[in-house]
Amino acid sequence: MSTPARKRLMRDFKRLQQDPPAGISGAPQDNNIMLWNAVIFGPDDTPWDGGTFKLTLQFTEDYPNKPPTVRFVSRMFHPNIYADGSICLDILQNQWSPIYDVAAILTSIQSLLCDPNASSPANSEAARMFSENKREYNRRVREIVEQSWTAD
Amino acid sequence: MEPLSSLAAEYKSGSPILLEKIKVLDEQYAAIRRTRGDGNCFFRSFMFSYLEHIMECQDQAEVDRIQPNVEKSRKALQTLGYADLTFEDFFALFLEQLECVIQGKETSISHEELVIRSRDQSISDYVVMFFRFVTSAEIQMRTEFFEPFILGLTNTTVEQFCKLSVEPMGEESDHVHITALSDALGVPIRVVYLDRSSCDTGGVSVNHHDFMPVAGDLPSASCSSVKNFPFITLLYRPGHYDILYPK
Repeated sequence: MSTPARKRLMRDFKRLQQDPPAGISGAPQDNNIMLWNAVIFGPDDTPWDGGTFKLTLQFTEDYPNKPPTVRFVSRMFHPNIYADGSICLDILQNQWSPIYDVAAILTSIQSLLCDPNASSPANSEAARMFSENKREYNRRVREIVEQSWTAD
Repeated sequence: MEPLSSLAAEYKSGSPILLEKIKVLDEQYAAIRRTRGDGNCFFRSFMFSYLEHIMECQDQAEVDRIQPNVEKSRKALQTLGYADLTFEDFFALFLEQLECVIQGKETSISHEELVIRSRDQSISDYVVMFFRFVTSAEIQMRTEFFEPFILGLTNTTVEQFCKLSVEPMGEESDHVHITALSDALGVPIRVVYLDRSSCDTGGVSVNHHDFMPVAGDLPSASCSSVKNFPFITLLYRPGHYDILYPK
């Protein structure tokens, strides 16, 4: 069955394959264009360098008028990421607009990694450490990076 | 659609100034059509009013006139670096609606169907989003013109304003949005203001403002004999737009 949401997702996928932004990859699961797996690689020369973080994106038939539900599957330690992996990012909530495709969503999440938004903490321990003890924060991030290699 | 008396009923025990103003409106306007109050009311009112005008007048000339403007917006978005896939569906759906309201085709729809489609989010929201794209493109292509107005509203750059206040669904429209949409499509819009403001010169009057596009190719408003007269009239009450029908 081809709906506007599905047709749009096929084009999102094509664009992601033809012109993939650096450090991200994503694809729909077999037989389900509405559910995607994605990987974000930690940006070079940052504490996140070398990490491979897995996410899922769940779309509804309202896409692209409504954003997908995006969640990290890999364990994360970040001021704007909740313990269950869900992400506090304006474009995934009230600032969503159809101008964002899957490539743009993943790129935005990638830049959120190194550029947390202190005003909307989802993980208060990470938020506090980020502003008060950057050394310890970076150490915890390195731990998460190492865990990302071994987790399935 | 409701008679204008329904508006008076709403304010029965309200401010005397508003009741006086509604009396004035009642002399010029026959009816009001209410629009969902979800932050998209300006765009949704515009959509319905515009398509209804083309349907009632079978205004093929207007359909032919607006199409190059729609293509200009498409090119503007491409110039601004938007990926085609992010906006092409919205453009296609609007152009489809434009075709449907002209009668005598396989795809033609009735007025009743137009009302149904305007309530159907899978169509209505796409058309609203089309207008949001057109508005955003117009603002960003004429940054120097819009910048002072935007700085007067918020403390953001023009680009940020478009990202935060134009492109997301549900973000309310201000005179900046109306000016940009009217200019981009070349469609004049009259906004009638129903608020508590009053002038001391005695006698109540209702303010209105005509948004007249800067472009030269204005529609001819073929239902009326007056050239360049806005055929879209919206009633603004603080925070909300509805459609007004002149007598």
